[in-house]
Amino acid sequence: MNHVPMRVIAASTRPAKITRRALAKQQTREKVLLAARQLFTERGYEGATIRDIARAAGMSTGAVFASFADKSELFGDILTADHAALTEAMSDAAQGKTTVDSALMAMFKAGYDFHYPQLPLFAAGVAVSWTWTESSEQRNREAVRPIRDLILQQLRAGVERGELVERHDMRLVASTLWDTYVRSYRRAVFDGWSSDDLQTLLRDQVALILAGLRA
Amino acid sequence: MGVRESQKQETRRKVLDAARDLFNEIGFDETTIRAVAERAGVSVGSVFTTFSSKAHLLSQVMEDRVDLLFHELQRVVPHLRGSTADRLCSIFAIHYEFETRRDKLFLAHVAAAFSPNLEEGVIPYGQNARFRGMILETLQSGVSRGDVCNSIDLDLALTSLMAAYGWNYRLAAQRRATAQEMSDLMDRQILLLFNGLKPR
Repeated sequence: MNHVPMRVIAASTRPAKITRRALAKQQTREKVLLAARQLFTERGYEGATIRDIARAAGMSTGAVFASFADKSELFGDILTADHAALTEAMSDAAQGKTTVDSALMAMFKAGYDFHYPQLPLFAAGVAVSWTWTESSEQRNREAVRPIRDLILQQLRAGVERGELVERHDMRLVASTLWDTYVRSYRRAVFDGWSSDDLQTLLRDQVALILAGLRA
Repeated sequence: MGVRESQKQETRRKVLDAARDLFNEIGFDETTIRAVAERAGVSVGSVFTTFSSKAHLLSQVMEDRVDLLFHELQRVVPHLRGSTADRLCSIFAIHYEFETRRDKLFLAHVAAAFSPNLEEGVIPYGQNARFRGMILETLQSGVSRGDVCNSIDLDLALTSLMAAYGWNYRLAAQRRATAQEMSDLMDRQILLLFNGLKPR
């Protein structure tokens, strides 16, 4: 969603009339995004059509297409916004933690608190990610990168504190940790595990992954 | 086997072959039961007397492929030498090589596993008991050989290995990665985990 404010900033240097129009456009986008989020959550990605989304937002299909090129861009915007919000929540959660394990688990707890209540939307995101285009994948990778960097930061802090030894490519460790977190949702989707169950399993998995790095 | 039973078996085989080829050629979503029936040379009705849905059909196609894969593995696994980590690297590499032969089929299987309405009788990928059993056995033999710590929770190690294995197919889905690239990444992940699985 990064390009939205940019557009508004660019418009603000022009006469007031255009600013108002840009503002209206921004409001339209937000209305569409809100309706789309709701429908994707209820019906999954395939189950929600642009027509349904337009109807739920109280506008024409054409008005939706004026703001978004297609459904995948719309969905991508929602995921990108979520990743940005999650990055912030995870960063806050790690503040003041003094061990690698506690910092990582606080971050992942923030993740579960964020994703678990909107499980169907998260699952739809994972399902779509197997078949989406290269540009969607590129976009998603960009959105996830700050989260991996946060994890990496915590691993490096652990090395500095003398808890961990840099025995492996720490980027690989960071992505393995994040992937393990994302993968854990299978248990919630298929086996009905609670957020607490997921956190218990993840804690053990984090310990296993870090076991080979302990000082 | 009676005539009727053998006819039934033959129809089943024809339908599964047709479905396997269509899923791999045009993808799961684009394949209709009608197209499967047409390719197999049977009626739509007779497809439905054997399989409850397209997802069920896909699941059966994949189960049959696992038979094929296990046939290959059973020839190779007894000859594997070296550390437990090396053996696992080989086993996973064989899987990647096998599944990428029909990559579109496999990705359909993966995508179906994330479908919000999984039907009964459908085995999602990564839940295959034989495959999990084989990896677990390899880990257990590592404990008796002495290169896997005996106080490790083997189920947890298994879960983590399977998660990495399955997730790596994303590279094939999104970047058309080869079996070799996925095996290389898996090797590094196995080494990472094994650093923690070593006896201390």
